[in-house]
Amino acid sequence: MMNETLSRRKFLRLSAGVMGSAAVMSTAPRLLNRLASDPQSAVWLETSTNERIVPTVCSMCPSGCGMLARIADGNLVKMEGSPMHPINVGALCPKGQAAPELLYNPDRLTGPMRRTGERGAGQWEPISWDEAIQTVADKLNELRQAGHPERAALLYGETRGQMRGFLKRFMEAVGSPNAVSHDSLNIEAAKLGIYLTQGIYDLPAYDLENSNYVLSFGASLLEAGRTPQRTVSGLSYMHRGRANRGKVVTFDPREGVSGAKSDEWISIKPGTDAALALAMCNVIIKTGRFDSDFVHNYAFGFQDFKDDDGKDHKGFKNFVLENFDPRRVEQITGVPATTISRIAGEFAGNRPSVAIVPAKGGLLNGGFGGVATAMAVHCLNALVGSLETPGGVQIQRYPDCPDWPELPADSAAEAGREAERIDGAGTVFPVGRYAYQAVADRALDGYPVEAMFLYDANPVYETPGGQKFIQAFEKIPFIVSFATFMDESAEYADLALPEPTFLERWQDDYIEGLGYPGVALRQPVLEPLHDTMNTGDFLLQVAQKMGGPVAQAMPWDSFEALLKDRLQNVGTDWETLTELGVWITPGYRFARRGSEKWINEVVGADRRRAPRDGRFDFFSRELSCILGDLSDDELAALNPGASGDALYLPHQEDVIYEGGEKEFPFVLNVVTLMSLGPHSYNANLPTLQEISGMVVGERWGSWVEMNPETAAELGLQNKQQVWVESPFGKVQTKLRLVKNIHRDVVALPHNQGHKAIGRWAKDRGVNGLEIMNPASELFTGLASFTNTRVKVYAA
Amino acid sequence: MARWSMVIDLDKCVACQGCSIACRFENNTPIVSPEEAELGREMLWNEVFPLRAEEGDIASEQSRFLTRPCMHCENPPCVKVCPVQATFIGDEGIVHQNYARCIGCRFCTVACPYGVRYFNWYAPSWEEGLEQHLNPDRVMGNGDLEGPAIRPRGVVEKCTYCIHRLHKARARAEAEGREIRSGEYVPACVQTCTGKARFFGDLEDPNSIVSQLSQERRAFRLLEEAGTRPKTIYLEEG
Repeated sequence: MMNETLSRRKFLRLSAGVMGSAAVMSTAPRLLNRLASDPQSAVWLETSTNERIVPTVCSMCPSGCGMLARIADGNLVKMEGSPMHPINVGALCPKGQAAPELLYNPDRLTGPMRRTGERGAGQWEPISWDEAIQTVADKLNELRQAGHPERAALLYGETRGQMRGFLKRFMEAVGSPNAVSHDSLNIEAAKLGIYLTQGIYDLPAYDLENSNYVLSFGASLLEAGRTPQRTVSGLSYMHRGRANRGKVVTFDPREGVSGAKSDEWISIKPGTDAALALAMCNVIIKTGRFDSDFVHNYAFGFQDFKDDDGKDHKGFKNFVLENFDPRRVEQITGVPATTISRIAGEFAGNRPSVAIVPAKGGLLNGGFGGVATAMAVHCLNALVGSLETPGGVQIQRYPDCPDWPELPADSAAEAGREAERIDGAGTVFPVGRYAYQAVADRALDGYPVEAMFLYDANPVYETPGGQKFIQAFEKIPFIVSFATFMDESAEYADLALPEPTFLERWQDDYIEGLGYPGVALRQPVLEPLHDTMNTGDFLLQVAQKMGGPVAQAMPWDSFEALLKDRLQNVGTDWETLTELGVWITPGYRFARRGSEKWINEVVGADRRRAPRDGRFDFFSRELSCILGDLSDDELAALNPGASGDALYLPHQEDVIYEGGEKEFPFVLNVVTLMSLGPHSYNANLPTLQEISGMVVGERWGSWVEMNPETAAELGLQNKQQVWVESPFGKVQTKLRLVKNIHRDVVALPHNQGHKAIGRWAKDRGVNGLEIMNPASELFTGLASFTNTRVKVYAA
Repeated sequence: MARWSMVIDLDKCVACQGCSIACRFENNTPIVSPEEAELGREMLWNEVFPLRAEEGDIASEQSRFLTRPCMHCENPPCVKVCPVQATFIGDEGIVHQNYARCIGCRFCTVACPYGVRYFNWYAPSWEEGLEQHLNPDRVMGNGDLEGPAIRPRGVVEKCTYCIHRLHKARARAEAEGREIRSGEYVPACVQTCTGKARFFGDLEDPNSIVSQLSQERRAFRLLEEAGTRPKTIYLEEG
């Protein structure tokens, strides 16, 4: 079925009979009516002479949908969703559909290049891949010989499956701890929220198909989020796929498509979601509608408790009862107390129910308040006993891959790996795991970086105040970009080593969002169009060229061979995997509360220091261990938004805005659109540009959304040009009045305002991140997406 | 004889625009310049757009979106006004558009109450290399050109329910000596729909999904009062 051939000759033969009748018809007197009278028999289909269908996986957003590529006469002509992939089950969003424009994009880099002029001047000369490999290998060997392999750093973007582990391993083999994920720009707040409560460092999966009630906090579930297509499928099924309709409630200062398509959208003052979640906890506790078995037997810190030293501590219950009465929270959030109580009652009374911890988009990213919010939202799940239940929250499980082989003994590398990380995660930022955007600040502050690699990373564009990376790059003598396009960051590189598009390379992708394990395979749907090289293959060849222990650590002949090796235990053979493009082990196996499986997999398993006792932390013992290392002064220097026990309990933190409220009255919200998505290169697909502003009827550019009442007070008109100014800069764009947005918020869609990439992306619209607070949050190293205020005035 | 029909459940639609773009790549609709797009001349046979709030709507009401292919009316006003029979209703209820015969008078674009007919103001073009992804399928005949065939400047085009897919499915069925199976022929937008909001089938078959859904309490047709009797049927939200 996978390699269907539909030949033109066959069609011609098939239509020969009916063509005969057409000939007879043509002698008929009323020629004009021929088609009208018998249109079906007079026409036939022409198509290509040679067709095949190749399965692969989309990478236009993190959903990772299965795709079938239709190759006609050697050209990619159409993408379809793979019906076998459980995330999209045959569906495909506009980004996936537009993928042929990525493949055939005229602005792609066509081969490896070396900079000849000044950085950023755009002067390049072509080089051979051998030369590129030699150059990189020499540079890394030089660092190793100098005893400073940790001065090599790699920034990477969206990658799952083997590539993520592979990049980390490559850097470790060289001797650097500095493989830095971009997670601090998006999913890290949610991951830390789950980690500090449930003790699992990962995003959970939500069993939406079996859930009766879903709360979503500022997550733009259907447009952005971690796996929008997964959520779309789940919510569509909740609404109409089964006999009893589930309900979805979205809290967000901006309605957006996600709010519009929810059963109820509730506008909330930005940055107050934690208070709202805790007020709902208050109602659930007060009315006694919580899961008593869970909170008493499988959780920690629900009641007040004494620690080992005999010191009294406040428990979640009393903390919430004392501080988060709905009437008080109404003042904080702007959501009526009656609404809070009603939604809380519905949530607790319509189990199984889930509260979705926002993983991207909305106003929850960034700031320890963001982590505290994720914790508060997850406590709603815990209260109603939704952890590890059908219709509740599940652990994401992954395919069974062998452990990476032990790294060879290598004293140079071992010393390097122990060095402090370039992003300061774990040191400067005690709670953080990654601080992608902080790499620029740290390099400027003097952390020596001698070689920088960018893989699916465009920090100049995609971080708040990303212009600082241009300055940071000046301190870095050797920069390599593996970008497919000459993006804003690649422009400052010394080597541009283009990776093929996802349609031309081998890669795997873990299936995320359904709980059970699955893997999908990306494979070249046709021969690479240009002189590109899979970055995996490139790094393997660099390792071989470097020789010694680095070569030993990376023994695979090619990235394809590595995939074959690492995916041998997923449950099927390589041939089946390449033919189907996906392999899943469906059926989520729930762990019984308190069982061995529960303790080993579901609650507490990833804790580094707090007890792995299978108890959900309403009071975060892990956080208390981490912060316990700090002196009072050190803790005070982190500027905590709460003190005493409250810091370790989910709590509401007042957002500390850059820019006073008087001068800068609006909170800036940069939103991800379904159309343009998160990846820079999507902006260079003309079809996506054309549909980019559907929500307000805009296209090919930017706009800023404002509440019409606020605009009236400011004397601003719909569609007029305005300045949006923050303490960090200003951008000029078009004002669009949108009735369903909070009066304190303006929203600016992401992924316009590029200064590079290509003809369709460049110099079009504005990039809201340019005027955002470039600081990193002090506890976690998360980017500050939530605390920039702006003023808006006529241009 | 089949009577093809599409049902769109607005309760499941998430306004993702997957349908618009699946249609573009399936049917080779061109990208117009940003300036032309600003004039509302995008060539998207299936446009998704927000519904403007009516006068008197309460302010707190949630926004709504509509996705809009051709209605394939049983009583299509476009067919009545076409002076050259370039647009006509086929035996199976599909409202055809024969580019080879269209003279570009645009009577049909005015007559259509749904605004789903698109005029080629310019010759379509695809920049350097993008033409490689064009769908090679076309429906040909003596004096007939339909489906994804590239349209010249000056003709009108519209949603055809992916008529080339019908030809393909039928050819396959004939080659295998059987009737076309239910679900074997679906337009590209139905196949790609992220919310699984679209259904396609034969209204003549009382057991088909579209027949069943068209009987639902939520079923309605756009501008029913116009008497066009659309075969694209919507299901209300909520």
